[in-house]
Amino acid sequence: MVAVIQTPRSYRSRYLWLDRERGRFLVHRSAYTSPEIFEEERRRILHRSWIVLGHESEVREKGDFVVRQVVDRELIFNRDADGRVNAFFNTCRHRGAAICREPRGNRKSFVCPYHGWAYRSSGQLFNQHATYGYGERFNEDGFYDLQPVPRIAARAGFYFVNFDAAAVALDDYLADAGPMLDAIAEQSGVGMEVVRGCHEYEIKANYKLICENSYDGYHLDLTHSSFVDYMRTMVKGIPVSEMNIRGIAKSLGNGHACFELEIPTGRPVAQWLPVWGEQARVEIEAKRLELERRLGAAKAGRIAVTNRNMVIFPNSIINDQQTVLLRTVTPTAHNRMIIRAWSLGPVDEGPVLRRIRNEGALSFLGPGGFATPDDVEMLELCQKGFESSDVEWNDISKGYRPDENTLRDTDEHFDNELQMRAYWYRWNEIMSAPELRA
Amino acid sequence: MSAALLLRLTVEDFLYREAALLDAWKLKEWLGLFAPDARYEVAPTGDAEAGTLSSAESLFLIADDRERLEQRVIRLLKPQAHAEYPHSRVRHIYSNVRILADTGAQLEVNANFVTFRTKRGVTATYMGWHRYLLNRQDQGLLIALKRTILDLDGLVPQGKVSMLL
Repeated sequence: MVAVIQTPRSYRSRYLWLDRERGRFLVHRSAYTSPEIFEEERRRILHRSWIVLGHESEVREKGDFVVRQVVDRELIFNRDADGRVNAFFNTCRHRGAAICREPRGNRKSFVCPYHGWAYRSSGQLFNQHATYGYGERFNEDGFYDLQPVPRIAARAGFYFVNFDAAAVALDDYLADAGPMLDAIAEQSGVGMEVVRGCHEYEIKANYKLICENSYDGYHLDLTHSSFVDYMRTMVKGIPVSEMNIRGIAKSLGNGHACFELEIPTGRPVAQWLPVWGEQARVEIEAKRLELERRLGAAKAGRIAVTNRNMVIFPNSIINDQQTVLLRTVTPTAHNRMIIRAWSLGPVDEGPVLRRIRNEGALSFLGPGGFATPDDVEMLELCQKGFESSDVEWNDISKGYRPDENTLRDTDEHFDNELQMRAYWYRWNEIMSAPELRA
Repeated sequence: MSAALLLRLTVEDFLYREAALLDAWKLKEWLGLFAPDARYEVAPTGDAEAGTLSSAESLFLIADDRERLEQRVIRLLKPQAHAEYPHSRVRHIYSNVRILADTGAQLEVNANFVTFRTKRGVTATYMGWHRYLLNRQDQGLLIALKRTILDLDGLVPQGKVSMLL
């Protein structure tokens, strides 16, 4: 049982301390440092939330598969011979060996390297590499077929899994984050695809720190001042008066949130920069017209020029900027995580814009870029600060209003901290609930 | 001494000098080893065909033309490049240097490498191979391309390529 104290002036649980009179929103640092709390999070949140697995374009053809980690589970994400998309636990039903050892490929069947149990792409066991020893009824009920994850569902081409069979439907879970995903899919009339190449890197910090960082507008001009200097050289040809950054922060329900920015730093869909050259200008203008014809001027305008960073609670991140970057966060301990990030673009994008997309993606967002390494550094400095001091509370108060509806609200300043409070409000709600749902 | 051996020693001397400049964080001098239209690239990790991929079609870790490489060097020498402030200690070890082609104007060279990086008590190891295209100039060699292919599934535990490999 976690004691919760609620008065008109303040709210206090083991994890959150809201002092409404002083305008303070505090998070207890044990939420980032305690192995016991991390275990509790695994049970209450990570194993019961919808978490992004991948994109439909990664399993486009029958037999296509990728092996992917979601929280502490390793899954085979595939399209079977009947065209169905599946996610199976990557373990043989016989004695447990991980059956699929390649990271990706195309296979009609998966054969365990240990004793030779063989499964169709649908997961069905069809051969045990044994002429005797098993009766005819051994697998009549499919008991030994590859075990699928309890739930898999898609929205706008993004596949999500949930390890809780009783979880709410994906669309209900996503709440207002769902239409945000739709708007990404609408960047192309023929679908989006994952570009080859994954950015995979470890950060020695609690996984929630990268979630906070991904839609933190407050740190941009300071942490990334050296990137801003670089951008100034990239946007030459754009009047300084147009460089004003305008943006808002929104909570999207169920702990999801985003910020939206209008900043003329260029988007292959569909905002041109002079440094990209004439051919790119022609293609981007055509793209913009295509968007307007398909979606209408207002929606096309929003999709074309709005940058959006979104965290789908608890650990799926989509940054829609120079590219659409899908980031999955795999916590491996209370103070360690592995990030895997993929860039997405329209299937029908030509080579000029694809090159611009790739270079935009890696110049800011990658582990070899001009910004992400400094974020990694900051997150590791935060973890170090937590673990090497007796200071108990982290402050997330910027823009905090006592009447704020943290689960559904908008802040006209994208560089306030509403986004993070939306996350923590939901996190605290689940972690402070008296008992786990059976 | 055979001409082939002499050429290899010349190339090795050049590469060892390049490595020494990186070890010393003399990045402006290092940039001086590159041709005006040079590229510096680090291919994606975890891809068995990384050596044949193109940065135009795939998501690389680094794909710099000369201009962005200059910006990278300018940035890395600022205290605001936080991941490298204070500078990590790095040591570049090059080996197995092989000249694969010689057109007269340009050499194609492969070299294995191990680069160590130490920051805040943690040492990370990067290993793989570099592919160089080296232009022959009157005054010596200039790098037209340095492409790094890491023998890593991912940057686990390295976390980043914040310095130059």
